[in-house]
Amino acid sequence: MLGRAAPGVCQVVAVANQQQNRNMATLKAISIRLKSVKNIQKITQSMKMVSAAKYTRAERDLKAARPYGEGAVQFYERAEVAAPEDDPKQLYIAMTSDRGLCGAVHTGVSKVIRTRLQEPGAENIKVICVGDKSRGILQRLYGKHIISVCNEIGRLPPTFNDACKIAGAILTSDYEFGSGKIVYNKFRSVVSYQQSDLPLFSQKAVENAPKLATYDSLDADVIQSYMEFSLASMLFYALKEGACSEQSSRMTAMDNASKNAGEMIDKLTLTFNRTRQAVITRELIEIISGAAALD
Amino acid sequence: MSAWRQAGLNYINYSNIAAKMLRRALKPELRADALKRDESHVRITPWLNGRPAHLKAAGAK
Repeated sequence: MLGRAAPGVCQVVAVANQQQNRNMATLKAISIRLKSVKNIQKITQSMKMVSAAKYTRAERDLKAARPYGEGAVQFYERAEVAAPEDDPKQLYIAMTSDRGLCGAVHTGVSKVIRTRLQEPGAENIKVICVGDKSRGILQRLYGKHIISVCNEIGRLPPTFNDACKIAGAILTSDYEFGSGKIVYNKFRSVVSYQQSDLPLFSQKAVENAPKLATYDSLDADVIQSYMEFSLASMLFYALKEGACSEQSSRMTAMDNASKNAGEMIDKLTLTFNRTRQAVITRELIEIISGAAALD
Repeated sequence: MSAWRQAGLNYINYSNIAAKMLRRALKPELRADALKRDESHVRITPWLNGRPAHLKAAGAK
C-alpha cells in the first residue's frame, strides 16, 4: 500500500518542483521573448518607412510610364487584333519581383498563371517568370513550362533598359507564340491592386487584323519594328505597375506587422508583470511562513 | 529593309543605341540624370525542362 502510494507522492513533489522551476524560467523566457518581439517591431517599422519612401517614387514613375502601356493596348484594340485560331501556342509572362514580405502580390500573379495551366491546352503554354518569387511558386509543379527566368528585379526601380533586355530575350528565344499575356498587378490605390493582363500577339496576328486599315502607311517592316517596341514598352509599363503595387502592398503589410507586434508586446508585458508579481508574492509567503515556523 | 535590321539588330537595339547617343550628347547638367536611366540590372536565365540551362545567356548580345 505504502509502496504503491510512494511513486504518486514523488510525482506530485516533482510536478511542484517543476512548476516552481518553470515559473522562474518563464520570467526569463518572457523577457527574452519580449525583447525579440520589440526588435521585430523595430525592423517592420523601419521597413515600412523605407517602402513608403520607395512607394512615393514608384507612383511618380508610374504616372510617367502609363502612356507607354496604354498606347500599346489602344493599338491592339483599335485594330481589333485577335489571337490566331490556327496557332495555339501561347506565352505567359509573370511580372513579379525578387523580394517578399509584401502580402499577396506575387501569389496573386502566380495563381492566375497556375489556374491557366490547369485548364486544357496547357501543353501549348510557355511561361517566362520575371522575378524570383513567381519562379519559386511555379517551378515545382510547372517547371517544364518555364522557358526563361529574369531576376535581380525589385532592388532598384525598373528602368526601360530592363524592359528592353527582357523583350530582347523574348524576341531572341526560339519560341514562336501566336498570342500571349503579360500578367501583372495593376495598381489602383495605396491599399488596393488587382491582377490584370496585357495582350501579346504575333506579327501574323497583327497583319491579319480586320481593322488594321485604320492606320496609315503600314508595311511589314513598320509593323515588325512597332511590335518590337510595343513589347518593350508594355513590359516596362507592367514592371512599373508591379513595382508600385508591390511597394504599396509592402507598406500595408509592414504596417499590420508592426501593429500586431505592438499587440503582442502589450500582452507579453502584462504577463511578464503578473508573473513577476506572483514570484515576489510567493517569496514573501515563504519568508513569512518560515519566520512564523521559527517562533 | 533598313541597314540596321540587315546588320542583325532589332528595333529595340537600334533605338537603344540612338538613346545612348542622345544621352551622351546632352548638356552636362542634364547628362548625369539621364545616364542614371541608362542602367539595367536584370539577369536572364533560359530554362529547359524545369532546370536552368546554362548554355548561353539569352539576354547578353
